[in-house]
Amino acid sequence: MYRRVVVQNEDFDLADEYRRLRQLDAAIGAVVTFCGLVRDCQQQARIDSLNLQHYPGMTEASLNEVVATAEQRWPLHGVSVIHRVGELLPSDQIVFVGVASSHRAAAFQAADFLMDYLKTHALLWKSVEIDGQRSWVEAKDSDQRALQRWMQSSTSP
Amino acid sequence: MTGAPGISAVIKLLFFGRLGDSAVTAPEFFEASEGLTASAVRDALAIEHPLLVEALLEPQVLVSIDRVIADWNQPLTDGCELAFLPPVTGG
Repeated sequence: MYRRVVVQNEDFDLADEYRRLRQLDAAIGAVVTFCGLVRDCQQQARIDSLNLQHYPGMTEASLNEVVATAEQRWPLHGVSVIHRVGELLPSDQIVFVGVASSHRAAAFQAADFLMDYLKTHALLWKSVEIDGQRSWVEAKDSDQRALQRWMQSSTSP
Repeated sequence: MTGAPGISAVIKLLFFGRLGDSAVTAPEFFEASEGLTASAVRDALAIEHPLLVEALLEPQVLVSIDRVIADWNQPLTDGCELAFLPPVTGG
């Protein structure tokens, strides 16, 4: 089982990350990748930039916990999670999740699960700058509600 | 470390997210007696930092001790790192 969890300031390359997962094992029949981007709009306001604060060491540990949960739940060959921190601009890549599995259902579901859990469990704090004013982003109830569906079903494909 | 009487533990304090804005004047290190808890540290900050303590009292705020999520009533030890963590907003 391959696991790559990285917290970094630098950008990442989707093709490189896909290649790493694809090359792991010939039993892999599906690779699902997701890239999150910085939106330029936050509650109808145009943002100048976004900043992500992390807790070195502990943020990585929180991401590893989320990945471990997905590994227990689905038969996976590899998982990569990259989260960027620091100053980001609209359209920048902010997060990458990649999952390799023998079959697509597990790969799709695990990637979806990872993003839902990462939103609510990864130790990261976002602030945005709008018209020169910086403010912290509040946690969303909708992110908490998104977890409910994973708690109700214990299905593995 | 300080030589002051009754002090046996120096605790490093960290405030993340919006808590950091309320904590700009809060001390980086807190001197206490060994065995003090995170909730006692919070209460001790109340006199000089009322806005910070108000933010820390919100039920969603978690604490970690040496980078492990901990109970507010877990005893602190000399040299430990106590972090206050508001709800997360990554992804």
